Amino acid sequence: MVAVLGGNHYEVLGIDARATPEQVERAYRFCLEMYGDSSIAIYSLLDADEQRRARSRVQEAYEVLRDPFRRHDYDVSQGFVRATPPMPAPPRAAAGPVPLPAPPPPAPRPPAPQVLEGPVDGATLRRCREERGISLKEIAGRTKIGVRYLEYIEADRHELLPAPVYLRGFLQEYARATGLEPRRTADAYMSRLRRHPDPTR
Amino acid sequence: MMEALPAVVPVAAARPRRQVWSVGGGKGGIGKSLLTAALGFQLARLGRRVVLVDADLGGANLHTCLGLAGPALTLGDFICRRVERIEDVLVETGVSGLRLISGASDFLGAANIKYAQKVRVLNRIRSLEVDIILLDLGAGTSFNIIDFFLVSDVGILTVVPEPTSIENGYRFIKSALYRRLRAAAPSQAVRAIVDSALDQKNPLGIRTPLDLLAVVERADPAAVPLLRKEMGAFHPRFVINQVRDPADAAIGHQLVTACARHLGVKAAYAGYVPFDDTVWRCVRQRRLFASAVPDCPSAQKVRELARGLLQGESLALTW
Ligand SMILES: Nc1ncnc2c1ncn2[C@@H]1O[C@H](COP(=O)(O)OP(=O)(O)O)[C@@H](O)[C@H]1O
Ligand SMILES: [Mg+2]
Repeated sequence: MVAVLGGNHYEVLGIDARATPEQVERAYRFCLEMYGDSSIAIYSLLDADEQRRARSRVQEAYEVLRDPFRRHDYDVSQGFVRATPPMPAPPRAAAGPVPLPAPPPPAPRPPAPQVLEGPVDGATLRRCREERGISLKEIAGRTKIGVRYLEYIEADRHELLPAPVYLRGFLQEYARATGLEPRRTADAYMSRLRRHPDPTR
Repeated sequence: MMEALPAVVPVAAARPRRQVWSVGGGKGGIGKSLLTAALGFQLARLGRRVVLVDADLGGANLHTCLGLAGPALTLGDFICRRVERIEDVLVETGVSGLRLISGASDFLGAANIKYAQKVRVLNRIRSLEVDIILLDLGAGTSFNIIDFFLVSDVGILTVVPEPTSIENGYRFIKSALYRRLRAAAPSQAVRAIVDSALDQKNPLGIRTPLDLLAVVERADPAAVPLLRKEMGAFHPRFVINQVRDPADAAIGHQLVTACARHLGVKAAYAGYVPFDDTVWRCVRQRRLFASAVPDCPSAQKVRELARGLLQGESLALTW
């Protein structure tokens, strides 16, 4: 059986290997629309089965590319980047072509990361950060996460935040840079989010 | 007070080579004729000398789109040599820079003209002292229509956001491309493969030009680069007419993507024209919307389209 959609994950989504997470997201939505059941652009070109296969190929590509860790592994396996431990995983693709620059030097961390009790919202995070006298710019510099996103996190602008997989990564970075326990801080913040609607349904 | 200007030798702005543009679409009633008329009008307004040609030999009505009465002499009179010179069937439209060669509504036989006649007609039309010759093609995918499309420098493919129209649009692309590939086929064997591809239910299982390439690859691998080159030079430009919302407009990008991935055809998205009450109200009054209501949304979009096509630009898909 011939592949309906050939090529690597990037080609399947129609993006290049430097695409940012936002671009991955937009390209995925475009492809879903295009190969969707009610698409007229594909009508008469692919039969129902081919359309389904195209859609699952798109889904497969997206599942990998949306996840910074899986994307990094994939890039390494395809020879798009040299193998550097993806810690922290590149939350945003670098601007230049392959290879990606080495991750920034680890930020100096306080010896015992603090675990926050109870629910954690943007305001809580902001308070912790300000108490420690750390600016958003500094966090952005260390984590390579755009200041805009850090502001959205603190303002609880959930609708503007990226998909949960990315957000989790962002939150852990934020926590680490602020001296908070990364995993539990991210979990606490995430638990307040509305479940992210699955666009394939 | 005006200062004396330095003496400058006036240089005529370099005009690009005379071009043939055609407007096809594979289906009737999707706005090909209106688009041709409006595009011609805007091109003339942008300073180009334009001749519109109603090549819809069976259903000519481009004159009506322009608010003109059916002229006494038409392309049919030239085709069957009732008049000798192509200039004899050329009429003014009342718009400066825009002239018309009307269709052959009076001459049934003209709907089935021979290839040699087509070549003669086109050569004579090309000899006119103009910048752009704009052909309004009829509906369907007959050789008459496709041959005109294939000899054009710019082939515009009109679709409306409906499955029927898009289905016919793809069929148009495939028919045109197969005809082109057949003409370029270097051997009898390859020609036979192209011929069988024309039948959608062919035993070789060829459904798309990409399938065709795969079959040729097995039969005559040396022919593949040649066919690929022909495919690469085939560059239809989509215009979506009767767009009602942003999702309709976005279909243009999907069509281009689908053509590249599933047909191996490098198409472009030239632009779209909104569905506009002004358009059909003007049709009812036998006036061209582009000139009667120059500021209506569809007139503006056709103006953008004309500019973009002149510059060779298309709407890009960016993430
Ligand atoms: N952009 C538009 N907005 C509204 N109505 C349109 C538009 N384009 C076309 N129409 C309608 O479609 C009809 C058919 O258009 P026409 O140019 O004659 O189609 P074709 O040449 O493809 O057969 C027109 O008479 C008009 O009523
Ligand atoms: Mg027509």
